[in-house]
Amino acid sequence: MKLKLISVAALLSLSMGIAAHAAEGELVIGTEGAYPPFSMADANGNVTGFDADVGNAVCEKLALKCRFVVQAFDGLIPALNAKRFDVIISGMSITEERGKQIDFSRSYGEFPNNFIAKKGTELADAKDIETLKADLSGLRVGVQGGTTHAAYVEKNMPDVQLMTYDTLDQMQIDLASGRLDSSFADASAQSDFLAKPDGAEFQMVDVVIDSSSDATLGTGLGIGIRKDETELKEKINEALCELGREGTLKTSSEKWFKMDISQTCD
Amino acid sequence: MQFGLAQLWEGGWIGALLRGASITIAVGFGAMLLGLVIGIACGLIKWGQVRPLNWLVDIYTTVVRGVPELLIIYLLFFSSVEFVARIGTAFGWAGLADTGYPFLIGVIAIGTISGSYATEVVRGALAAIPKGHIEAARALGMPRKRIFRRIILPQMLRIAVPGLNNIWQATMKDTALISVVGLQELMRTAFIGAGSTRNPFIFYLIAGALYLVITFVSQIGFRRAERALVLKGRA
Amino acid sequence: MDAELIYRAVTTLAKGVSVTLTLASIAVAIGFCLGLGLAVMRVSSSRLLSGFAEYYSAVFRGTPLLVQLFLFYYGLGQFDAVRDNAVAWWVIGDAMHCAILALALNTAAYTSEILRGGLMSIPVGLVEAAKAAGMSRVLRFRRIEFPLAIRQALPAYGNEIVLVIKGTSLASTITVLEITGHAKRLMSQTYAIFEIFTIAGLFYLAINMVLIFAVRRLEARLASPGR
Repeated sequence: MKLKLISVAALLSLSMGIAAHAAEGELVIGTEGAYPPFSMADANGNVTGFDADVGNAVCEKLALKCRFVVQAFDGLIPALNAKRFDVIISGMSITEERGKQIDFSRSYGEFPNNFIAKKGTELADAKDIETLKADLSGLRVGVQGGTTHAAYVEKNMPDVQLMTYDTLDQMQIDLASGRLDSSFADASAQSDFLAKPDGAEFQMVDVVIDSSSDATLGTGLGIGIRKDETELKEKINEALCELGREGTLKTSSEKWFKMDISQTCD
Repeated sequence: MQFGLAQLWEGGWIGALLRGASITIAVGFGAMLLGLVIGIACGLIKWGQVRPLNWLVDIYTTVVRGVPELLIIYLLFFSSVEFVARIGTAFGWAGLADTGYPFLIGVIAIGTISGSYATEVVRGALAAIPKGHIEAARALGMPRKRIFRRIILPQMLRIAVPGLNNIWQATMKDTALISVVGLQELMRTAFIGAGSTRNPFIFYLIAGALYLVITFVSQIGFRRAERALVLKGRA
Repeated sequence: MDAELIYRAVTTLAKGVSVTLTLASIAVAIGFCLGLGLAVMRVSSSRLLSGFAEYYSAVFRGTPLLVQLFLFYYGLGQFDAVRDNAVAWWVIGDAMHCAILALALNTAAYTSEILRGGLMSIPVGLVEAAKAAGMSRVLRFRRIEFPLAIRQALPAYGNEIVLVIKGTSLASTITVLEITGHAKRLMSQTYAIFEIFTIAGLFYLAINMVLIFAVRRLEARLASPGR
């Protein structure tokens, strides 16, 4: 009986070591799937976008097959630590807070962030961070839950009414319906909204807020990896460097963002 | 609004919503089954006053019924994911990570919730069985297992049917909460469609209608079951 | 466990308690009035009224609260007619108001079923005696039928209020910062999933325990004067 228990335990601990989905020749990637143009999932679960390109290119370098698992953004880190997937590639910024939970690869890109505002309002004309803060005070500002944007506004702008959404879609529906005065997200997501009919009445506020503005915004986009997987991390870093040198990241970035946001190793 | 049923059809959304509905039904069935197993086990413990165990059952039903379902789902989904992953692997479901995993969480979370309500229904039904029946069976020298199978279980189920019907309705509706953690069931499909077509109204309306159809049809089924069980009881 | 984290979680979540209680109490108050109206319609002899009440109850009890909430908040919010109408937008445009609306309409359906059961349990003889004594319809309802129905329905209604309190957690999905909303926000900052959701659960449990206790007390008080 005791022997049986031990063997069951051994079996369980073995199967727990699925850390290596890699052993099965697969790299399982967790991604949001609802964050264009980083990560978009269609009705059949296929993922496209910049992050999908990065993922597929890394898989190719590691000689593994890519499999994407779609997961709400604020559940990505818990799910990675629960070994539901091997890495996170989901437009995730490298921050100190997140660094306590998981490790990150080197940065593969960096993105500016912007507020948007209704055309013709004072907020829309703000030119520096101080007027921006003053104009935002008391307004309803939308952010996506669990993002660096949420953390940034919460820390630096205690006077705004912060509204947290599960997805970008919901936030944009509320911008269009007038429930929100403004929103804070990365420049790409914002211009994506402005290009839609719903976004016609809005414009980008001309104050770029990037990682140099505040530590909560992180130090560029990284691939999330579990803390104990140093080997995988090194391999991924090497792959990212090679992809940067070969120009793969740049091409892909220009394809999705119409500009180069990629970061290289040199 | 220029967006109507024709666009829904062309965009493949009708099919997607129906697929979502079938997953909703599957989660509902799984959760109900799990809930029944939990309910019968815990109901028996409470009925039989099995000492240290019935306290645990009391804690379980009080906590689960006093805490929002959404919170239970968040807790299970975000925290004990590892535990569920292990169950999944043990059953050889590891490869189903994308859909199988939220499915499993959904069944466990909703099943835990319906189990707490089922416990009360089962306990009530057990208490309603005339003591004389069990005593008579004992006097005839029936073994305990057979008393349970032939006397207690059939009567209990018959008395419990209306209560279980209510639990089934609640369980079906609770499955919608799984959408917040990403299982692409009916509500989640409506949610995705609402976001990508910018027409939330029609999507949530259709989702609501489909839930109504599901509850309506199962209502008929339960009424039949009730009648069948009563007839059998008399024969 | 980390004491500092627990302190932070308790103080943050406590901020959501008043929002949760506000949502629940206003929804219960509105839902009770609507539910009472629906129950009276249901037992009335008019086919039209009782039919409406029956369909209302079937629709709201047959669909998930989450669907109702999203249909009101995101669904109705898409129409210009709603946005341009000041009254409609006051209700739909604000997440808190919208959550109260959905919760109230939902609980009204369940309340109507509970009160209908209460109304039907009243012995016919009592109503006939009141009629014979010359009581008017309104007086009869106020003095005989309503108090008896309430007393009968109270235990079930207590459970319904618990369900409303639990239902308020869904408001977090449309940006309302009640207990669950705060919990989710804190979770995505600290990732202390287990601690935070457990503390949130304890808040709800405490609220519901107090509520159930109060309903039991009320039941006991209502039961005695009749004898």
